[in-house]
Amino acid sequence: MRDRIEAALKSSQADYTEIRIEQRDATTVAFRGKDLETASAVVDTGGIVRCLCRNNGWGVATFNSLDDLTARVEQAYQCARAAHSEQLIELAPIPAAQEQLTVSLGEGRDFRGISMAEKKALAESYNNILLTFSSKIVDTQTYYGDSFTRLTFASSDGTLIEEERPMVTVVAAAIARDGDNVQSAHETRSGQRGFDFVQGCEHLARTAAQRAVDLLGAETVVGGQYPVVIDPVLAGVFIHEAFGHLSESDFVYENPKAKEMMVLGRRFGQDFLTVFDDGSIPGLRGTHRYDDEGTPTRRNDLIKNGILVGRLHSRETAAKMGEPLTGNARAINYRHPPIVRMTNTAIEAGTISFEEMIKGIKLGIYACDAYGGQTALENFSFSSGCAYMIRDGQIAEMVKDVILAGNLFTTLLNIDAIGNDFQWIHHAGGCGKGGQYPLPVAFGAPHVRIQDVVIGGK
Amino acid sequence: MDILKQLQTKAEQVEVVQMRNEATTIEFEANRFKTSKVEETSGVAARVVRNGRLGFSASSDEKALDRLVTNVLESADFGDEVPITFPAPQTASQVKTFDPAIPDLPVARLVEIGQEIVDMILSVEPAAQVNVSLNRGVQQVRIQNQAGVEAFFRRSPLSIGAEVGRIEGDDVLILYDMLGTTAWEQDYLAFARRLVDKLKLARTLTTIDSGKMPVLFSPTGTLVLGLPLMEGLNGKNVFTGISPMRGKVGEKLFDDKITVVDDGTLDGKYGSAPYDDEGVPHRRNVLVERGVLKGFLYDLKTAAQSGVESTGNGSRGLFNPPAPEPTNLILAGGSTPLSEMIAGIDEGLLVEDILGLGQGNIISGAFSNPLSLAFKIEKGEIVGRVKDVSIAGNVYDLLKEVTAVSRETLWVYGGLCMPYMLLPEMNVIAKE
Repeated sequence: MRDRIEAALKSSQADYTEIRIEQRDATTVAFRGKDLETASAVVDTGGIVRCLCRNNGWGVATFNSLDDLTARVEQAYQCARAAHSEQLIELAPIPAAQEQLTVSLGEGRDFRGISMAEKKALAESYNNILLTFSSKIVDTQTYYGDSFTRLTFASSDGTLIEEERPMVTVVAAAIARDGDNVQSAHETRSGQRGFDFVQGCEHLARTAAQRAVDLLGAETVVGGQYPVVIDPVLAGVFIHEAFGHLSESDFVYENPKAKEMMVLGRRFGQDFLTVFDDGSIPGLRGTHRYDDEGTPTRRNDLIKNGILVGRLHSRETAAKMGEPLTGNARAINYRHPPIVRMTNTAIEAGTISFEEMIKGIKLGIYACDAYGGQTALENFSFSSGCAYMIRDGQIAEMVKDVILAGNLFTTLLNIDAIGNDFQWIHHAGGCGKGGQYPLPVAFGAPHVRIQDVVIGGK
Repeated sequence: MDILKQLQTKAEQVEVVQMRNEATTIEFEANRFKTSKVEETSGVAARVVRNGRLGFSASSDEKALDRLVTNVLESADFGDEVPITFPAPQTASQVKTFDPAIPDLPVARLVEIGQEIVDMILSVEPAAQVNVSLNRGVQQVRIQNQAGVEAFFRRSPLSIGAEVGRIEGDDVLILYDMLGTTAWEQDYLAFARRLVDKLKLARTLTTIDSGKMPVLFSPTGTLVLGLPLMEGLNGKNVFTGISPMRGKVGEKLFDDKITVVDDGTLDGKYGSAPYDDEGVPHRRNVLVERGVLKGFLYDLKTAAQSGVESTGNGSRGLFNPPAPEPTNLILAGGSTPLSEMIAGIDEGLLVEDILGLGQGNIISGAFSNPLSLAFKIEKGEIVGRVKDVSIAGNVYDLLKEVTAVSRETLWVYGGLCMPYMLLPEMNVIAKE
């Protein structure tokens, strides 16, 4: 395969050419209620060629048949020539990497050597916890998934990376019903790890079941403006969704107005707010040695002491903006070219304990866990998985349907306390952008307090 | 190798689905034609029932079909006992979903269309950033089973989508709209004209006070009401018991003006095909008629579990087993002209676009969303765009009383046909 890739690269007439070949084996076990929906293994093999003609544009060819790579290169080249650019498209230079990155998941823990029976038994044990927790639980969704991808990336700049990428995931979701009142809750765990990483997760199933049942008894929150304390999960999702996507420079590099809005040096928060993205931290979901253009990953500060100091780049956006490479060009699989994405994004720990944070709040909301979120640049909307009222400095009753909405700039400036209880979140799921979903990413954060948040509700 | 024959010797029931797609995509980024892409995807998925147990596997590697056979049989060893029966051949209605004019569209023509859209938008909003994505393709699906089904169909999907971003200081407006069809559409610019109209209307900013008021949903806005219904009408959610509509067929749940239909047999529409992805003919399914619940959407498995017939709504990707999904979902139009609906509002809100559609506990019918584009209506006129506004409610309560449904309907986001809908009173929350 290596020889064929190199021969195809040599045949290219484009200014830059890259080839990525993937072979993925994946197993899925899914329970819905008491029924096993599927216990299956699939094989996915395919590739992508991307060519750049500097005064035209990008051309991309994706395919499943690996028979004629040279013809795919020609296809991508012809695509690239069809486009037209007024300015030359440059790529920031990177050192040519030659690497073979293999992973060892440990003796007896490599999920490729574990039988379907054992994987099914694990998922079933979590599913049984959900099903037997309460008679109010009418439905469950329990999922076990693993995938092992062998990929080869080679470019005309001399990079050749062969890499193994494992991923293992469990999801436990409970749906509780009382008459017309239907509530759901889920817990997940996922990492680039072995089978043992998702064993012993009974507590996750119990937490999901308990929360779904508790939500049945919760009142809908009364809409309005509140001081809100968000837990590390919601804080992590918030910083990723509401701020992180604006740091992806494909949003600013061709857009003068956006550049003005995201000008480096602008104050985004108070002095104690620091936000970074780091694709090089071992053991996290968004970590790789190299991004999908062959650029080494590293820590990139985005907000430091309240000031915007950096953003995330691909080779093209870094060259265009004259800023350093960050290693953030990523693709979910061979069906897509890499685009600027986050890796592991976090709010750095502060100094305040959770107790101090809620102490002074007369009427507020403690919102935990994220159910989903969307941003349209400066406007965002997130739903929390569960939430509680804060009354006179104490956590009070549970409330439901808590959706936080607002403007990013005012909201970041309204962060007035950052906790000392930082943690990385090993949640499954992932990030969607440009039709590429789900990309494995991680979030990290401590508890965070925000003043004057608009909460939708009745 | 003939997988169907090979698997038939080892299992009671066998289904083999071959999918082959070719697509060309042209992308304009920041007003300029930047990238083009050709895709060829192919693969085989198989299901078997062996010893009464259902198994599934798929492969995109045509050289690994022996592993597909091993995997699908192993999957059945662990599979659940489902009373599923792969169907015998049934005659499907003729549905036009392949128009040679679409695959024959030259790349240069796609680029021209993209440029036309960019120019149209820049002519009213010169500082806008326009991203346009044009995608044309040919999809071929072959479904075979041991009962003799040999269904083959071709589709020629064409989608043209445009995202317009306009930034003024810290004020950001992002609009998206698209055309989705399987037959060449002469008026391919209609969606772009809608974007232009919205951009013009959005120039005037105004404010609105929080409170209860009539709310008019546009066809794109109506989705916030339609999405929870789609979830609730899905046979899988009905079978598992989480749909609030379970067990209520024949009951009047909504206002007389609400009729919901799923129809995969409409010529040229985005979600149309003669068969579903399990070889069951598509048909017209009336789900809600004049407010009365009539039925749900099923695929083979959920139908078997529920003791009913498949409604022809089995939908799948290569790597996933089928699940019930709508084909073309239609919220039927009413009798009131839109102009009359607007004219009758003294003070209210027009909802065009929602942020965070589908998030939260939508199966319960509850939604709570900020609005990415909304207008204030005052004394029967649209007076300007309002920002930082959100709405919340539960569709099962709200749709019990609808003031009016417009005569006009619009196909939006591909396979959805929606009217304007006026609700008498909703809670609107505006940032102080």
